[in-house]
Amino acid sequence: MIKAGIDIGAKNIKIVIMKDSEILAKGVFLSGIDIKVFINEIFNKVLKDANLSKENISQIIVTGVGTDLIPFATNKISIVSAIAKTANFYFPESKMVIDVGAEETRIVKCNKGAVLDFALNDKCAAGAGLFLEAISRALEVSLEEMGRLSLKTENTVPINTQCVIFAESEVVSLIHRKTPKEDIARSVYDSMASRVYSLASKLGIEQNTVVVGGVAKDIGFLDSLKRKLGVNLLVPDNPEFAGAIGACL
Amino acid sequence: MKDSFERRYKREPVIRKDERIIEDIQKVKTNLINLIKNNPNRPATMAYYDEIILGDKRENELKNLKNKVIGTFCYFVPEELIWGVGCIPVRLCSGFFETITPAEEVLPRDICPLIRSTFGCKVEGVGYFNLCSLIVLPTTCDGKKKLGEYISDYLPVLTLNLPNIKTYDMAKEMWNKEIKVLKSKLEEFSGTKITRKNLEYWIKLFQKRSKLFRSIYELRKTNPGIISHRDFLMMVQSSFYDDINRWIEKTQVLYDELVEKSKQKNSFNGEKLLITGAPIIFPNFKILNVIEDLGALVVVDELCSGTQRLWDYAEPDEWTMEGMLESIATRYLLPSTCPCFTTSYDRIDKLLTMVDEFKVDGVIYHDLRLCQLFDMERNLVTKILKDKNIPVLTIHTEYSQEDTEQIKTRIEAFLEMIRSKA
Repeated sequence: MIKAGIDIGAKNIKIVIMKDSEILAKGVFLSGIDIKVFINEIFNKVLKDANLSKENISQIIVTGVGTDLIPFATNKISIVSAIAKTANFYFPESKMVIDVGAEETRIVKCNKGAVLDFALNDKCAAGAGLFLEAISRALEVSLEEMGRLSLKTENTVPINTQCVIFAESEVVSLIHRKTPKEDIARSVYDSMASRVYSLASKLGIEQNTVVVGGVAKDIGFLDSLKRKLGVNLLVPDNPEFAGAIGACL
Repeated sequence: MKDSFERRYKREPVIRKDERIIEDIQKVKTNLINLIKNNPNRPATMAYYDEIILGDKRENELKNLKNKVIGTFCYFVPEELIWGVGCIPVRLCSGFFETITPAEEVLPRDICPLIRSTFGCKVEGVGYFNLCSLIVLPTTCDGKKKLGEYISDYLPVLTLNLPNIKTYDMAKEMWNKEIKVLKSKLEEFSGTKITRKNLEYWIKLFQKRSKLFRSIYELRKTNPGIISHRDFLMMVQSSFYDDINRWIEKTQVLYDELVEKSKQKNSFNGEKLLITGAPIIFPNFKILNVIEDLGALVVVDELCSGTQRLWDYAEPDEWTMEGMLESIATRYLLPSTCPCFTTSYDRIDKLLTMVDEFKVDGVIYHDLRLCQLFDMERNLVTKILKDKNIPVLTIHTEYSQEDTEQIKTRIEAFLEMIRSKA
């Protein structure tokens, strides 16, 4: 059975087309302002990549925020259940998933794909992907570079503010004080990892923890998170597609 | 009322009249009621509550009555005494988002939305606040403790000194005295003495109201689908404003209708939820809208703007003035499970009983941003519930509608979690 999963995120829309458990095509697109306008266009693009037409798709499942905006959706699933399924799909022994997206951090405790408990961060984006983007802008390095830099040092400086806006200006003043970029990068990842840690510890941290979401591609963040949580972290292929894949499962 | 300090140092009250805010509020109210009306299963009697909640008609009625209107807050103001001196109580705690910004011209921003919203009603001259000639304000949370200083710029305020620990003997003694003082101050304000017979009448009427409310509450245990929780709260919150006799008369009709409905087979088979936490006041029904849209239903609440308000009644041992006043004091102190008291243990016991009696599938903990008290209590409350395998979801929110989608994500996931457990 061929299914399509659409995950509408705060920053990106992720689309995958799957036949049973094999990914046929996938695509990431900026969410933009009016999803309704271009959702057809991007969906057709992914269909074309898979050499399929809409008629071949038996189910189109949406997840994420604003699921009502997709007129051609056949089913809906919450993002929390979707990532729990993905975690189970790639790592059946996993008991916890951490999903760090652009604006939201989600932690799900699960067992064989069933959600046992979950926690989501508050409205603000501190400790999520947009925070990292803001910092990389302030440091004038790419996101990938920032991850590599952070691994080159063991020194950190305290980052006190958690607000994206204020943290950015705090980083600027650290730069002015000639703090090495490596130290700043590592400190930023550490402060983000503490946010995730405090959210996860409310649920009870599990040994086999899966990390998904766009930020799971960031080696700097994974390193900090691993040190902070003290557990084995598992990252699936295409972690940013975890929601869309889970929708298909 | 005004003490010598307030007479010496007068602060000019801030008054704004923004037509747009009044229009917006009207729109929000009508839109929400229209949304609630969409329910084909809605009891026909709800039309009466719609009218009271919309306000215009009742406000005009109050304007034309000779009786003075007295504004109250929270749970703790004995309305029997206000009716007893020939005045009409209205509870002012507000759920409007639109009046928050105007309030910030005077109040600090970092206090809870309920207080800002209510005070904004006075600044903008919206609703029942404007009809009041006296306010009775209990010292509950930090915000309410200081709110009186602001309101006294506009009209006289009687502060009720509420104890922090309600089980202390001294606290009970103090509160008993406080109620007696309130009685004489209300008599002084209105120029009417409360007679023993008169107070007996009001206590008995309030008993009737509570018993009627309880019978509706009971019906929902076996047949939760007969009334939605939005309607249930509208019924409760109409009693903030309306004449008590008329409310009882109409609610009796609602009860009869619900009894008829409950004879049919239970048609509701979605998730049954309990809602607790910070007050949910019309039109701030955001969470309930999302829950009911997703096919679940709140079947019982532990809110001071819901079940708590009407559940208890005074039960004098002796129908002497002394005995009646003491029973009123007890009724307006002990049953409250407001987090402004130092322990939350009785609240937790009550929640566990409700979970059990209504066989709920999960608990929603409504946390209003900047209400530290409910937030502080959350840790223990949710721990105990979770230890008993009762799923709990905290919704941390404000009065604005912006986070509706985020709330939806959380509640959707919560319902899916409950379903997968079943």
